[in-house]
Amino acid sequence: MTYTAEAFQNEFLALGATEVNAIVTVTSTGSAGGQRTAGATEIIIVDASGSMQAEGRIAAARQAAKAAVACLDDGVHFALIAGVGTAQQLFPAPGQLAVASAQTRAEATWAIDRLHASGGTAMGAWLLLAAQLIAQRPGDIAHAIMLTDGDNGEREGYLQSVLDSIAGKFTVDSRGVGTNWKVSELRKIADAMLGTVDIVASPSDLTAAFEQMMTAAMGKTSADVQLKVWTPVNATVRFVKQVEPQVADLTGKRTADGPRAARYPLGSWGAESRDYHVCVDVPPGASGDEMLAARISLVEGDNVLTQALVRAVWTDDAALSTRINRQVAHYTGQAELAETIQAGIEARKAGDDHTATMKFGRAAQLAHESGNKATSELLATVVDIEDAATGTVRLRRKVAAADEMALDTRSTKTVRVGRGQ
Amino acid sequence: MTDCASCADERTAGATFCEVCGRSLAPEPACEHCGTPGGVGEDGYCEHCGMLAGRERDHLETDCGAVAASVTDRGLRHHRNEDAMWLVTRGSEVDVVISDGVSSSFDPDVASLTAVQAAGDLLPAGDVAAAISAAQAAVAELAASGDPRRQASNPACTIVSAAVRGDAVTVGWIGDSRAYWVPEVGPAEQLTEDDSWATHVIALGADPEQAMRDPKAHAITAWLGADAGKVTPRTGEFVVGDAGHLVLCSDGLWNYLTDPAAFAAAVREGLREQGTLISAARWLADYANTAGGADNITVALIPVSPLAKE
Repeated sequence: MTYTAEAFQNEFLALGATEVNAIVTVTSTGSAGGQRTAGATEIIIVDASGSMQAEGRIAAARQAAKAAVACLDDGVHFALIAGVGTAQQLFPAPGQLAVASAQTRAEATWAIDRLHASGGTAMGAWLLLAAQLIAQRPGDIAHAIMLTDGDNGEREGYLQSVLDSIAGKFTVDSRGVGTNWKVSELRKIADAMLGTVDIVASPSDLTAAFEQMMTAAMGKTSADVQLKVWTPVNATVRFVKQVEPQVADLTGKRTADGPRAARYPLGSWGAESRDYHVCVDVPPGASGDEMLAARISLVEGDNVLTQALVRAVWTDDAALSTRINRQVAHYTGQAELAETIQAGIEARKAGDDHTATMKFGRAAQLAHESGNKATSELLATVVDIEDAATGTVRLRRKVAAADEMALDTRSTKTVRVGRGQ
Repeated sequence: MTDCASCADERTAGATFCEVCGRSLAPEPACEHCGTPGGVGEDGYCEHCGMLAGRERDHLETDCGAVAASVTDRGLRHHRNEDAMWLVTRGSEVDVVISDGVSSSFDPDVASLTAVQAAGDLLPAGDVAAAISAAQAAVAELAASGDPRRQASNPACTIVSAAVRGDAVTVGWIGDSRAYWVPEVGPAEQLTEDDSWATHVIALGADPEQAMRDPKAHAITAWLGADAGKVTPRTGEFVVGDAGHLVLCSDGLWNYLTDPAAFAAAVREGLREQGTLISAARWLADYANTAGGADNITVALIPVSPLAKE
């Protein structure tokens, strides 16, 4: 796997300016399929609570779990967890991991037929069991899929305490089926575990969703890649955000690494490209001064995979300092879009129609300007967009719960800016 | 006795290299901004304060003894030197090129360096127009290579070039980098005519002082670059009658010496005070820096005399 990192910015600052912004694009390319640098462990968690009996969810979940098992590469360690009021290992024997082969995949498929819906929802317990199984394989590319259809039944704060103890150990992609689960709960898991969250409104779409998640997981070739950010003395990192393929604020995940440097976890990597927005406050310079505002390194352990430099150059030439960098402007807009949609949804839930209309109007405008068609379409299910250019919208009286949840979960999805402009 | 920082071997006083691991024991240069010793990292920035340690092109000199000399300097207000120069002598023959990168374009420092190299390669043939045409083509090609941002704001620069063959001087230019003839007495004679907004409107009858005060005064109307369109380099030739100095420079110098008499006086003062061509060229660069150093400064000095009668 070969990694490249490139910084996009307007390095020119007006005299007295101290805020440096850059978009860093990290891209990895490998030979077809890539070669894993470590082993891989996959845990599939399927909610088997009583509510899964509705709408044929459990049957669809069985089928989806089987499809996910079929996607496992030979040699991958895996286990299936049935999610009820406690965590029950469905396959293989409790406390063990199976090694994927034609035979173990067939055995796992038979085991899935024993999955019946009866019991509660205990996400913290499910994830804790997944973490215990994964702990047997240190250094593996570890990933879990979690399917649920309802609220977490554990005591307040328990899920958060579990997440605090297992964060960084593996990545978790969560999917909610139906509309009786809470977006905020699964988002909390996705944020802590560097994974994704999405709604699968109809059980019939579960198989495709599981296949997609498992294919992506099998494409990961590095277990634990981190962004190392060095800044000069008297500089502070204001934020580090992933901005593509979706917005995720990494600022709080900082761990110090030597003087003036810190690491931010990125999770596992395959052949892919992601964009990060780094914002640094530096001491002001004089005209003609050039400063390295940040040295961004992609690291795996002590190995530096690639580097990009974020610079600050002070100038009294306003033609240079007022230039707008397209990448920075675009992703600043995409991050605002995600925040605005979530604020709109909050306001609508609180019955504040005025604020909701304003927020959704601004969101429609941002989505239109940036060419984020997918988000525009999701917005159109919640509001009538009269004029996207001016952000004129009207709240719909009737909004399907699934549409609002889809808008909520997918609000952080961004589109890439055209390069070289 | 001091330990080698790399392998902890003791060295004897005065040793230059560690006896065991071979690493240099010379102290690494301190950062010129914050003074941290050995603070400059591999990519040229201080590991403490982050300031750039300086680039090779910040100040360069070419010393061809009594035949010619040139100096290029970053100045005080720009973060890098986007001027470039080329100076080659063969006996009394002199090839010289100066180019000034357009700051608002992408990679202007690459444009100017490309221009002087492309022109300089052809100058031995003595055809200044052909050399500038080659530079135009080379700079125009830059937009299609390297960083994709070059396509949106293609690398661009000016050029002024001269070939001196005995007492015959040919000059050519595009943009506002200049060539002057500085006789032993009297004001300097500007051999080039700026391709600039001010020159253009003055030619159309505008008041020169008012035109030069306009913010657009220095906007150039012709340049080298992919977006320059079809520009024919302008040239001039002359044979010297009395001894004097051919001076080529970028606007980083002539901006502070717009009056031809003042320009000539400064060149003469530099030559008189310093004695050698290279120190006179350095003195002129210092002059511009003392006056503010608002732009990159490049200057070349070439004494030319009439041929001795046989």
